[in-house]
Amino acid sequence: MRYALLVQGAPYSHQAAHSALRFAEALIARSHRLETVFFYHDGVYNAQRLATPPQDEPQLVDAWCRLHHEHGTALLVCVAAALRRGVVDERESRRHGKQGHSLESPFELTGVGQLVEAAMTHDRLITFSP
Amino acid sequence: MLLHLLNRSAASSHVYRDALRAMAEDDCLLLTEDGVYSALMPLAEHFSAVYGRLFALREDLASRGLEGRCAEQIVIVDMEGFVQLTEDADRVVSWF
Amino acid sequence: MSDRSPMPMLVVLRHAPHGSSWLREGLDVALVGAAFGQSVTLLFIGDGVEALVKGQQTGPLGQKGTHPTLDMLAMYDIETLLVDAESLAQRGLIETDLQLPVTLVAPERLPSLFAHHAPVFNF
Repeated sequence: MRYALLVQGAPYSHQAAHSALRFAEALIARSHRLETVFFYHDGVYNAQRLATPPQDEPQLVDAWCRLHHEHGTALLVCVAAALRRGVVDERESRRHGKQGHSLESPFELTGVGQLVEAAMTHDRLITFSP
Repeated sequence: MLLHLLNRSAASSHVYRDALRAMAEDDCLLLTEDGVYSALMPLAEHFSAVYGRLFALREDLASRGLEGRCAEQIVIVDMEGFVQLTEDADRVVSWF
Repeated sequence: MSDRSPMPMLVVLRHAPHGSSWLREGLDVALVGAAFGQSVTLLFIGDGVEALVKGQQTGPLGQKGTHPTLDMLAMYDIETLLVDAESLAQRGLIETDLQLPVTLVAPERLPSLFAHHAPVFNF
């Protein structure tokens, strides 16, 4: 089956992102495809390029990126939720006259429409909220 | 059949009441994260209407020191069981 | 939209205005769904019923709140506004306290509502 996850919890503040990653591993182990993870609400902080957790804690940003590189999972971040919270890619940073950018690659900013689309085109959408 | 996920303890949040009210007769409920605190008596009694369709996630019980203390009416599942529940359900609704 | 869902989409709103962004972000999903041609049902339940209370204002720092968005729903053809009757009664509210006409939902109707909508977004 084709799965999409909706992640709404900030990393290290709540368990939501950890739970979503555990579920991602488990669904892939059962031969499903994780095609999309959509980050909304405080979930957009998962895409922070400058997150620097202690080395003996789960490396959440790395884990998301691994899903993309090893399984082709699209990491979609709601642009409206992200910009408000300071999660900005190079293009938006330039557009708003800011210095630097904070969105890790291959996370990509996108609209809520992509969430609605994912809900309708994937077999399952599972939400992980704080 | 829908699968409902609940990640709040019935001791501190009323959201479980809305989740239970939204459940159809064949829907299932999986307790995850802080939701697993409700897997112990007497809190588990709040879920008596869905005994037989009530599950708790093993790793969230284990990390909280609750494994082996679950009410017997609750079915404990591992992550693979969690995925299986989502396969069997038409849709998944999260309550938080 | 490539795959229009054969069932209407359900957006469940369970949070009150001003205290958090859940309500606003939930409404955004509803508006975008409708803009994509999806038929959208809103269900206000729990603290979500507070979203409909008349007389809401902009916050002291200029926070917009969500009441102006509610007035835009009709423009997006979102006309099915369901309110959980029990949640309303629990909070001492009646229909005339609300800023928009709504349909009250009896508790026994809730399960079929969830069963007959897809996708379901719970905010």
